Amino acid sequence: MKNLDSVLAAYLAGWAIFFVYYISVSQRMSALRDEVERLKTLLTKGK
Amino acid sequence: MELLSNTAVLLGKELRTEFRSRELLTTTVVFVLLIFMLFSITFHPTTSESQQFGPGLLWVAFLFAASLMLQPCFLREQTNDTLSALRLSVGDPFAIFFAKLTANTFFLLLMELLMLPFFAGFFNVHILSVLPQLFLVLFLGSLGIAIPGTAFSAISAQARMRELMLPLLLLPVLTPILIATTDVTAGLLGAEPSLNFAGLGIMIGFDVVFLTALWLFGEYLLEE
Amino acid sequence: MVKSIFKATILFVLIAVTAYLAFYYAPIEKSMGVIQKIFYLHIASAFSAFVAFGICFYANLRYVFTRRPKSDWLGVSAAEVGLAFISVVLITGPIWAHPVWGIYWTWDARLTLTFVLGLLYVSYLLLRSMIEEPDKRALLSALFGIFAFLDVPLVYFSIRWWRTQHPQPVILGGPGSGLEPRMRISYLLMWGALTGLLILLLNARYKLEALRASVEQLRREAEVR
Repeated sequence: MKNLDSVLAAYLAGWAIFFVYYISVSQRMSALRDEVERLKTLLTKGK
Repeated sequence: MELLSNTAVLLGKELRTEFRSRELLTTTVVFVLLIFMLFSITFHPTTSESQQFGPGLLWVAFLFAASLMLQPCFLREQTNDTLSALRLSVGDPFAIFFAKLTANTFFLLLMELLMLPFFAGFFNVHILSVLPQLFLVLFLGSLGIAIPGTAFSAISAQARMRELMLPLLLLPVLTPILIATTDVTAGLLGAEPSLNFAGLGIMIGFDVVFLTALWLFGEYLLEE
Repeated sequence: MVKSIFKATILFVLIAVTAYLAFYYAPIEKSMGVIQKIFYLHIASAFSAFVAFGICFYANLRYVFTRRPKSDWLGVSAAEVGLAFISVVLITGPIWAHPVWGIYWTWDARLTLTFVLGLLYVSYLLLRSMIEEPDKRALLSALFGIFAFLDVPLVYFSIRWWRTQHPQPVILGGPGSGLEPRMRISYLLMWGALTGLLILLLNARYKLEALRASVEQLRREAEVR
């Protein structure tokens, strides 16, 4: 089973990239949701 | 026909603007000379090494010079606020691009021809026997740099950090033309000069593809 | 919310099953040994990346002709997701190449193509971040995207006549390129899993871009007051 550690490293790195990317999208999403809330309250107050 | 006459008028304008000051030509000539000198003194190549690495150095230097030279192409129109006047005065906006890219090709070619003797001298390669073939490569290569270069100069002129944006947009797109010109030039400068027709084919293909794309999409690049 | 968790769970199970198949069910390749198992992930990611960039090109063309912001959102989403997939390709590739070729990297046609493709779309995203006005950003980046995509075949053919080191495609290759059945099942499942992942990521990123557009809109309204 030569090189098995390389195979494991490749799979781990691959899944890690997908996972981190998905997390980053979710994080940006929740930051924007907060921003929407903030702007909406700002706009209703202005009226 | 109208396209050609419009282009001719605009081309005359581009050439006059540059020849009045000769700013672009002098700066890029000095710039390329500096790159040649730096490469030559840091690597200190023998003739056989130059035959191997020279073509790559030559085209990398030309590519960097071109990304500087293409910078003011649309920026100049923007700072002087002449672009909308230009667009109103010609029926087909492609004439603007056609004139600008012809002028850019011409100046690039002129700069390259001025620099060839320095290249031959610094790197000890013989160019006299293959001069006509070399001219063909220089022409197709300069055209290949100028077509996407003119298009992206119109894009980068409207962005922030435009001086950095143009090379970032241009250099990856120019990869095929860099590979092809380097290969063909290496064939010509080798111990037994030969013309690499596959490389010439790639260069012609590149020029045709991007000229067609510019013809089709150029008008959208100039929208306000 | 429940729906998205459900989708993510299905995908997770699919990926776990494929990983199991790739490691235990598929036989060990004769000449390369166990390292060949990287291919399942490598090839499927490459496929998804090319599909994503294809979608980006389609969205760019559509934006130029219809000017619908939705096409712009699709374009940026596809470019970003494509970059995620291509980074997996570019990381798993050298890990495979080092024990088999003895080197991490070479400028072979396919390797160059993948690398330049990644760079082109990095430039695309950078350009977007350098233009403030939404319509202008959408139009100019779409035009750059079109030019960039046209470059792809040229990059490939410009290196093609060089010595090509990359293994030839075995899945859709010519005669004699058949795959062992258990390997084929593993490939197909991995391909399905990563296509699912592509859709999931694309969908999430697209929603993000839509939300960003509405935030920009709200901000402008807030500034007017």
